[in-house]
Amino acid sequence: MNLNLLAYLLFFPAMMALAVGVAQTCHRHGRPWMLGLFDNNDVLVDALNNILLVGCYLVNLGYIALVMAAWENVITIEQFVGALCQHIATIVLVLAGLHYQNIAVLLLWSHFKHRARIDHHQHQP
Amino acid sequence: MANKFVLTYLVYLPVVLLLTLYVARSLFKNGRVFMLDIFRGKTEIADSTNRLFEVGFYLINIGFALRIMEVNGYWAENLYDTNQEVVETLAGKIGGFAIYLGIMLFLNLFLFMRGRRKSNANRMPRPVEPTAPALA
Repeated sequence: MNLNLLAYLLFFPAMMALAVGVAQTCHRHGRPWMLGLFDNNDVLVDALNNILLVGCYLVNLGYIALVMAAWENVITIEQFVGALCQHIATIVLVLAGLHYQNIAVLLLWSHFKHRARIDHHQHQP
Repeated sequence: MANKFVLTYLVYLPVVLLLTLYVARSLFKNGRVFMLDIFRGKTEIADSTNRLFEVGFYLINIGFALRIMEVNGYWAENLYDTNQEVVETLAGKIGGFAIYLGIMLFLNLFLFMRGRRKSNANRMPRPVEPTAPALA
C-alpha cells in the first residue's frame, strides 16, 4: 500500500488553487498595462485578457497534471514528504518563471511602444 | 478483480468534453471583438467567420481527445486495476490534453492578433515621410 493517492489528494487542489490565484493576479493587475499598450481600447483589452486567463488556466492545469502522472512510488512517510516538497517546488518555480516572463513581456512592449511614440513626436515639426 | 478501464473512460470523457466546451466558448466569445476589428464592424460576416472557426475548433479538439483516449500498456502480469493507476493515467491524459488545448488557444489568439494587425495596416494610410518645409 503506497501513499501516492494521499499525496495526489493534497497536491492537486493546493497547486490548482495556487495557479488560479496567480492567474487571477495577472488578469487583474495586468489590465492597466494592457490598456496602456492598446491605446485604452478597453473592449479589446478585456477580450484579450480573458483569452489569456483561460490559456493560463489550461497550461497550468496541464503541467500540474503531468507532474502528478510522473510521480514516483512513495512508501514511507519521509519519502512522502520529500517527494511532495520536491514536486511542489518544481511547480512553484515554473509558476514564478511564467510570472516573470509575463512581466518582462509587458515591460518590453511598453518600452518599445513608448520609444516609438517619442520617435514619432520628434519627427513632427 | 475487475479492471478499471471503464471507470477511467467514464471520468476522462466528460472532463475532456467540458474542458473543450469551456475553452471554445470563452475563446470565441472574446474573439468576436477581434473579428469585428478585422471585418471593420460588419457584424454578419464577423459572426459567421467566428462561428465557422468555432465549429472547426470543436471538431479538431474533440477528435484529438478521442484519439488519445485509449488506455494501453498493461498486460496479464500487470493488470490495470488499482485506483492509483487510474489517477495517474487520467492525470497524464487530461494534463497532456490541457496543454494541447492551451497551444491551440494561443495559436488562435496569434491568428486573431495577426489578422487585426493586417486589417489595421490596410485601413490606415501609410505614414508619410517628413519632407523639408518649403522655404518662403
